[in-house]
Order: sequence, then C-alpha cells, then structure tokens
Amino acid sequence: MYFWKCWRDTRSFFVVFLIIAAIVMPVAAVVSLGSHLVEDFGPHAFLDTFGLILLAVALGLGAIGASHEFAENTAHFLFTKPRSRAYFVWVGWAVGFAELLAVAVVNILAGWATLSHFGKNPLHSAVFGSIKTEQLGGILIYGLYIYCLTYSLTTVLRNGLRGIGASLAIIVGLPYFAIAIRWRWHVNLPLPTDTIGGLSMAISSSIWILVALLLVLAAQLLVERTEI
Amino acid sequence: MNELAIDTKDLSKSYASVCAVGGINLAVPRGSIYGFLGRNGAGKSTTIKMLLGLVRPTGGSARVLGLDTLGEHIAILRRTAFVSEKKTLYPSLTPSELVRFSRGFYPTWSDSAVEKYATLFEIPMKRPFGQLSNGNQTKVWLLLALCQGADLLILDEPTTALDPITVDQLMHVLAEDALDRGCTVFFSSHQIEEVERIAEYAGFIDRGKLLMESRLDDIKSEFRLITAAGNSLPSQTSSQVLSVAAEGNFCRYVVTKDADGFAAELSQSGATITNISPLSLREIFLQLVRKEQ
Repeated sequence: MYFWKCWRDTRSFFVVFLIIAAIVMPVAAVVSLGSHLVEDFGPHAFLDTFGLILLAVALGLGAIGASHEFAENTAHFLFTKPRSRAYFVWVGWAVGFAELLAVAVVNILAGWATLSHFGKNPLHSAVFGSIKTEQLGGILIYGLYIYCLTYSLTTVLRNGLRGIGASLAIIVGLPYFAIAIRWRWHVNLPLPTDTIGGLSMAISSSIWILVALLLVLAAQLLVERTEI
Repeated sequence: MNELAIDTKDLSKSYASVCAVGGINLAVPRGSIYGFLGRNGAGKSTTIKMLLGLVRPTGGSARVLGLDTLGEHIAILRRTAFVSEKKTLYPSLTPSELVRFSRGFYPTWSDSAVEKYATLFEIPMKRPFGQLSNGNQTKVWLLLALCQGADLLILDEPTTALDPITVDQLMHVLAEDALDRGCTVFFSSHQIEEVERIAEYAGFIDRGKLLMESRLDDIKSEFRLITAAGNSLPSQTSSQVLSVAAEGNFCRYVVTKDADGFAAELSQSGATITNISPLSLREIFLQLVRKEQ
C-alpha cells in the first residue's frame, strides 16, 4: 500500500545513492593505488565522504518523501483512504529513514572493506581503529536530524525545493546564529554536531534523536490540521 | 440503525468573512440515489469535503452512515468511496498500479469488479495516469470508487470530461449495480439532466444554502406553470407564486403548492386559465435560484 508507493517514489534516488555509497571508497582506493593515500588519509577521506553522502541522501529523501501529495494535488485522494494522516506522515518518514540507514550501512561496509583491504591490518580495520564509533554515530545522528528537518520543512512548505532550501539555510545559519547568541548573551546554544553542555555523548545523541523526531511530529500535527 | 446515509444539522463552513456553506440540513436516505445540484461555487464540493473530513466545519454537525464526521471519519472512509471534483492522481502510476495501491485499504475490495469496469469503460490499464486523456482519468477515478464495495458512493461532478456513451454507461452502473448492492449514491452535479435521469432524491444548493430537498417526484409534482389570460391579472410574487411573467394579456405564473387552488382564484377573478403544465427540473432549479437572488 503506502509503503509500496513511498518506495516507488524514492527508489530511483535511493538506488543511485546506494551505488555511489558502495563504490566511492573502492574506486578512490583503486585510483590512488601506489600513492599510499589510502593508508595515510583513508580514514579521514572515508569520514568526509560518509558525511557528504549522508547529507545529500538526507536532503533528497526528506524532500521527496513528503511533498508529493500536496505538490501533485493528490492529497484529496490519499487523505480519503481509511487511515489517519499520521499514518501517511510516519510511513513516508519510515521508508526514507530505512533507505537513509541502508545507504549509511552500505557506505560503512564498503569503506571498512576498502580500508581493511588496502590497510596493513585487514581485521583490525580503520573503522574500529583510527575511526571512533562515536564519530560514525555522530554523523549518523546528524544525518537523521537533517533528514527529519528537511522532511518536516518540506511537509510544511508543501514543496521539495523549498524544503531543501529552508533546511540548508538552517543547517548553514544555525552555527552563525549560535555564535551571535554566545557573543551577545554568553549562552552556548546546543548544535546538532556537538554534545549538549556537559552531557555524555550517549545522552546528547538521544536528545538530538528526540529533537529530530519532534520535528516530524510537528509536521504530522500540521498535516492533521490542514484542510484539503 | 439510522435510516439516513447522510444527515447534517446546520452544517456550515466559513473562510474568514466568506461563507461557503451556510447551515445546511441534508437528509439522504440509505439505498437511494441523491442528486446534489448547484451552480459552480455553490458550496457542493465544500459540503462533500466536510462529509469526508477533508475540511473542518465551522458550525453544525454531520453524520455519515450513522457515524460522526469529526470523531469517526476513518470508519466513514472505510465504507465510503469518493470521486473528487479534481481528477488528479499520481501521474507516473498506471491504472493497474493505482488499483494495487488502493486495494489494500479496503477489505471489501472486488477484483472482479476491476475487470468488469475496466472492460466496460475501456480503460487503458497499463498506461501511466499522466498520459491518459481527461475522460480516461475520470474513468480511473470511477473505477477505483466502484470497486471498493462501499456502502456509500460520494461522487463530486463524476461525469466531468466523459463522453455521452460513458455517461450513459455510468448512469446504468449507478442505477443498477450500485443500488442492487444496497449502496447509497450521493452525487453532485450541475448537469440537471443527469440528476433527473437517475436520482430518486434531489437537493438544490446555491450560495451555500439548501434551497430545496425532497423526493424528485414530489419536487416535480409541487411546481406548476399556469398560463392565464385576462385583464388586470395579479403580478405580485408570494410564498406560493415564485415568478410572474406578463406578456400582453397573458401571464405565466410559476406556482408551488396548491396550483389548482391558485388557478381557481384566478378564474374567480375573471381570468381564463389557458394551460397548467408541470415544470422540468431545470426550470424548477432556475426559478428557485432566481427567487433567491
């Protein structure tokens, strides 16, 4: 039903990024063969690539998943199906989240395999050595945050491009806003890329996951109140 | 069990200072075909959207199949099929895929009905919806609605862009297949002939107000056109006389309720009644709208 429809809407985008996630590190490694770049800079390159891919996928899936019904004038068809509007909002979100996670897992596995293969010690790979699990977790949570932010903004603005634009504006503008707040009132505004105050990484991450889900909940409440 | 499929009490909807629907009371009996007539912008679609929970009323209440539209709208949607005024659907999905998509929402879905109506309406099931003609897009909407096995069909301008043959087929389907299943059909239209052809009940709406609602036969029997000849004939309208048109010594009166009594009064005042004839639904509708204006 709606799972299938959401999958159908996003599958092309998902498959393209799944392929990119799978081949980017092996291709980079093959291209730089003999230069020791992988051995020396592999983990950093992997983390940067991982972050970039996740950012692009989060923005793309967030914009595709939610805007279709309003942009294509099909809300009156969908919302006369015997399901709550919350169901449609969260199914759309869940499909995108599963795809985001799949891209992340494939990218991590491909990166791990590549770094293991070209590194000195295949089993004690870079992922479990020089790259900390917290770093990967942090990027994943940031990806989730961006996905939820874009998804909710796209739903609110009823347009994928506007959703991406607003989301990017917040992502880019928030650190500068935080600097301004700190300069004016000496208050440290928590950012999704950092831990919150003196809290541990685990608690900070949990809070940011909660914030991300609250954004989707806000979108759900708005959709429930929207008149078609 | 409530004998009304649709029952509204002072249902109204306003947008800022604009009143789209101004307190209408609909009573649609179960198992009937009800034609909801009105001009463009009369409030038909807004009323339908309120019945389906797409729009929140600003006043009054509505029950559909005995269920409250605000608190039980999911249960209503499970038993109601809807054809929207806007016949847009996902452009990249084919009708077959739209059937696949819709099927899972309804336990009473009928695949044999899909085959039957797809053949009857000659729908190209493998072509993307966006590439279909307007007429075929309307047919896809109808197909999806008719195959749900719903207790109530709500059709908002269902014949938009359809050719006369398909309109004829649709009228047959509604009058025979739907009613055989005990399904109630509530359809809005500004095509009066369609309503006249199959509806058992009709409601006239204009500027958000329900002008009249009754059994179609009762509506038709209630209105008469009386042509009278004579000098100094009365030219005032009243609650009984909807309109008067004078031409020389002749006057044409559109009369509601007790036309014979009115004709007798005219005769007593010296007029000669030349003709008393029934009005078509179109004429009745026009008279009611003009009187309201």
